[in-house]
Amino acid sequence: MRRRTLLETVASGCLAGLAGCGGFRLQPANRAPPLVDDRPDAVYFPTHTEGMAMIDSVTSGGFGIGLMYSFPHRFWTTTGTRTEAVSIRSADSIHLMATVWDADSGMVLPIGAGLVLEVSREGDTVLERAPWPMISPTMGFHFGDNIALPTEGEYTVTVRVGPVSERRLGGFADRFTQGTEVSVPFEFSRRRRDDLAVRTFGDKAGSRAVPGLMEMEMLPTSRLPPGDQLPGRPVGQGTSGDARFVVRRLDTDSGPYLAVSPRTPFNRVPLPMMSLTIRHERGGTRISELPLKSAIGPDLQFHYGATVDEVASGDRLTIIVEAPPQVSRHEGYETAFLTMSPVSVTVP
Amino acid sequence: MDRYAGLSRREFVKRTVAVGGVAALAACVDRAGMPALPDGTEDPSTLPERQHAWNAFLATDGHGNHRTPRHHVLLLLSYRGDGRPTDSHRETLETALTGLERAVPRGNDGLAFTIGYSPAYFGRFQSGPAAVDLPDPRALAAFEDPTPDRPDAVLHLASDHGQVALAAEAALFGERAGLNGHAVAADIAGAFDRTDRRTGFVGAGLPADNDAVSGVPDGAVPDDAPLFMGFKSGFKQNQASEDQVTIQTGPFTGGTTQHVSRIRLNLDQWYNQDSREQRVGKMFCPVHAEEGLVDGAGDNLGDSSGLGECPAHTADHARTRGLVGHSQKSARARRNDQPIILRRDFDSTDDDHAGLHFVSLQRAIEDFVETREAMNGDDVVGSSAVGRRTNNGILQYMTVRRRGNYLLPPRSLRSLPPARP
Repeated sequence: MRRRTLLETVASGCLAGLAGCGGFRLQPANRAPPLVDDRPDAVYFPTHTEGMAMIDSVTSGGFGIGLMYSFPHRFWTTTGTRTEAVSIRSADSIHLMATVWDADSGMVLPIGAGLVLEVSREGDTVLERAPWPMISPTMGFHFGDNIALPTEGEYTVTVRVGPVSERRLGGFADRFTQGTEVSVPFEFSRRRRDDLAVRTFGDKAGSRAVPGLMEMEMLPTSRLPPGDQLPGRPVGQGTSGDARFVVRRLDTDSGPYLAVSPRTPFNRVPLPMMSLTIRHERGGTRISELPLKSAIGPDLQFHYGATVDEVASGDRLTIIVEAPPQVSRHEGYETAFLTMSPVSVTVP
Repeated sequence: MDRYAGLSRREFVKRTVAVGGVAALAACVDRAGMPALPDGTEDPSTLPERQHAWNAFLATDGHGNHRTPRHHVLLLLSYRGDGRPTDSHRETLETALTGLERAVPRGNDGLAFTIGYSPAYFGRFQSGPAAVDLPDPRALAAFEDPTPDRPDAVLHLASDHGQVALAAEAALFGERAGLNGHAVAADIAGAFDRTDRRTGFVGAGLPADNDAVSGVPDGAVPDDAPLFMGFKSGFKQNQASEDQVTIQTGPFTGGTTQHVSRIRLNLDQWYNQDSREQRVGKMFCPVHAEEGLVDGAGDNLGDSSGLGECPAHTADHARTRGLVGHSQKSARARRNDQPIILRRDFDSTDDDHAGLHFVSLQRAIEDFVETREAMNGDDVVGSSAVGRRTNNGILQYMTVRRRGNYLLPPRSLRSLPPARP
């Protein structure tokens, strides 16, 4: 069995374990079932999920890079607190996706630096684009976009990853300072695409739950550790806009480092590209108000952090969401993480 | 056999400019005719010492914005000699350029042109140009990897009439005896090889008429847009003045520096996925989108992009809106409260892909670098919801493929100047 066939089998099979499923059917590639009525302002179970096929997975410059595709998807871009629906266009061939991870640990890097995908055929560029940073109930954090290919056949997909713009902590201090570029072959076949599994969920759609993240060989998932497994001492947890916020405190030479790790409910997918401020109060008096900077570390993974002078038991810390995650969203995430009230915790 | 059959006049002229050469010129003149032009300058020595003094000769729109000519040719030239250029080649080039000036007037209806020289050219003198910092081109953003252009010289020809730009090129290279009834008494084919030929256009209607290339969806560009992205640029208040960009010390006083980058545009997302409001916010400023300040291509803005407090609020908008606009960021690069670069850029369909040839003039290349760094917005990335490209102006929609830096000497030194005149 060729590797691609094996991977597609894995991809198609990986949805089989989902609970509460409704029907299984093939659908025309450029259609999706109607959205559920009364979507909650929260994460919800989508109307359907689609299988995914691996194109390739390679290592370069300390990055692991995975390329995948699925049916064209509807999704929503985010600008400020508003989303903009992107519908499937008749010319769209596939939803092309890329994921980037730390080649050593397999940790998915939800980096704001983004990447560029170039699709070429016989040496000529067919399209080039900076795909949207996205979150999906089944795919977690990835970069993706619907693309139109002129014909079936052999293509080359080139991925250009830039240097990481987030602060790099600990063992990552000297990593990811240089970008990298890789090219892999891709054969577009409508038949192979249409063989991907599609599951619809009937009455379960719209409920306050999500399908699990797809697990694939050669492709790490962007699942953060549970809050109590992050390094440092617990400070508190809270919820805002259906996102879960975990606050940890680490003692460093320059003072306590406050790490804030926002994630989706259920699947613990990181929520990058937010503007967060932390307000520090003691006995009703404000001590400081600082912007939190996005950062990645080998143990804290993706989070937002700031170093403060000192914190004491009983201090109140309030995380203010000045801009919600500017990531695009697949169905099930597009109504959550938009209107986000402050999260307050009291230092134990 | 007619490769131009079925094209509108505007498409046709643009297409022949892109193809170039005497056959294209003949086809262009056959179809569109050669415009009846006044004669050029009887005594070219009366022309301004600044090669880049175009504004006084350019048409303006109803708001006083200078209107760059509609058709452009950029020729990257390699000097054919080894080592330093010869006096004989100097004289030939000067005779040829003066011939163009005698043939047609400077400006939209005639011809505007400049010639500039690269760091590689001055390397022939084992010295950079006197009193001018002319660095080799380099990448100007963490995520770009442009190929540096290193020709000896770059010639920029511009006219509202594509035929005139083509005929000027043909006359310079001896493929045609003259221009507008005037002989051009020397040709530069013995001095220079054309190593690259880049062409393009700017002006209402041209992008929409020439969208049958990759990188822009068919039929998406508004009919009245002067550029592929759908909006006007080069507002008078957002451009450096010619005085501002002119070198003021040393033997090259009266000259300027030129940056030429070749940018690929990828506008499928821009037109198929972004809303009009998102496009306005990303191009100008979130406030422009929220308050609906831009009608159509932005002609209603008058002689400025109306940024007001937007540049000063860049960091604040990044934090609270999760979006910063291209003009908003770029306008932060100022000196004495004035912009520091003068844009003379134009769109292109070279290589059958939507593109932009970004031609800008500034007193020093460092002014361009400063403007580009302001446009990168690295100061807000990492401390706000804005990504390196996502919601960060128009960075998501463009890839810089090539960069080149040049010195445009004053007119009296424009023909193969020594490094230390």
